[in-house]
Amino acid sequence: MDPSATQFIDLQHGNVLALLAIGFVGGLVSGFIGSGGAFVLTPAMMSMGVPGVVAVASNLCHKFPKALVGAYQRNKFGHVDIKLGLVMAVSAAIGVWLGADIQHQIKESYGEPGSNLYVSLAFVVVLTVVGGYVLYDAITVYRSGRSDEQERVSRLARWVQSVEIPGTMMHFRTANIRVSALFTLPLGFATGLLASIIAVGGFIGVPGMMYVLGAPGLIASATELVIAFVMGFGGTIKYALHGLVDIRLAMILLAGSLFGIQLGVIGTTYVKPFMIKVVMAAIMLIVAISRGLAVPVYLTELGQLDLAPRTMAVLHMASFAFLVLALCTGGIIIVTAMLRGYRAGAMPLKESAPE
Amino acid sequence: MERSKPYPLLIASGIASGLLYLLLFLYEREILAAFTRTDGWYPALPVLAAFAFSFAHGAFTASFWEVLGVKGRKK
Repeated sequence: MDPSATQFIDLQHGNVLALLAIGFVGGLVSGFIGSGGAFVLTPAMMSMGVPGVVAVASNLCHKFPKALVGAYQRNKFGHVDIKLGLVMAVSAAIGVWLGADIQHQIKESYGEPGSNLYVSLAFVVVLTVVGGYVLYDAITVYRSGRSDEQERVSRLARWVQSVEIPGTMMHFRTANIRVSALFTLPLGFATGLLASIIAVGGFIGVPGMMYVLGAPGLIASATELVIAFVMGFGGTIKYALHGLVDIRLAMILLAGSLFGIQLGVIGTTYVKPFMIKVVMAAIMLIVAISRGLAVPVYLTELGQLDLAPRTMAVLHMASFAFLVLALCTGGIIIVTAMLRGYRAGAMPLKESAPE
Repeated sequence: MERSKPYPLLIASGIASGLLYLLLFLYEREILAAFTRTDGWYPALPVLAAFAFSFAHGAFTASFWEVLGVKGRKK
């Protein structure tokens, strides 16, 4: 596919400032819950008129260096299970490669509205299902009064850990789990497939590591950054081969998100473990509403619906408003939890951490 | 004992990061044209640029928060 000039928007000052701000909060969320922040960035770019596929490609290109920086920082706090991350990443890379092909085919067959509709529908389905479950789990933990403790291992994870398949068993020391590679492979593949479609594999990866493999939330969210790096790297190469990466958008996002991710990583050391789930669920569900509102607009563009231009404009604005709400909600919960943890916590921010 | 704040790193990485962004915006059209070419080794350019920016800007942002006194707590 030859990139055409129409795929790359003219950058206005307002857009640059918005990308910096969105990048910052997206980075904050990534550092905190490990997955993307990309679920905010892709739709935000699409709301500015960037075609879905260029938004995903540019997002991936800003994601892998950000994930590298985040993983490096969280590894300093002992949160990263590098072995688990790399094992998941191997199959995730295959998923990314296949997913990018699907994305490419859809754009060729159905054009821009088709591609946008596909990305938006994937957002709505995955975010609603997984976000709903994560919220349910977070509420259960909170109501049980166990919010100060490390999470309990789910029944599914206990079963997965009990399955012995000779020759495939792997021990992941930091996550403190021993599971068959035959469980990590499909999980990694699904993570990669999702990442290449909506640039947010973490919505499968993090809950998957928590609920299927039984890794603690803090370890899962940090390990996801290793997977995100590998997937983002592979995905960027794939999209760059089609000339779809807008390096300006990617680097502007990176400018804000590297500030955010450093702060998000610091934040994880001050909060209760279940806060990761609360933030993840809240943002996922609000972004699902945002993308859901955009679906009728793309259906109209495809000729499947007949909405008045005014209605489409209202839906477009409402979609963006929910996006901003998701961003603000995530940022506020993280900063509030950090401040609360800091006040209740053992150590003033100004003093150095014990070496 | 508190470590001294990394002002030299903040300044050096800040200059490097600023220069990279300045180049990107001064040569926006040329860079976009080269980075979206699909022949030869041109597709490697976005990846190389991402590493360069993350190295310079990552060092800058890390030292930025450290200079402000915002640090993580080791458990």
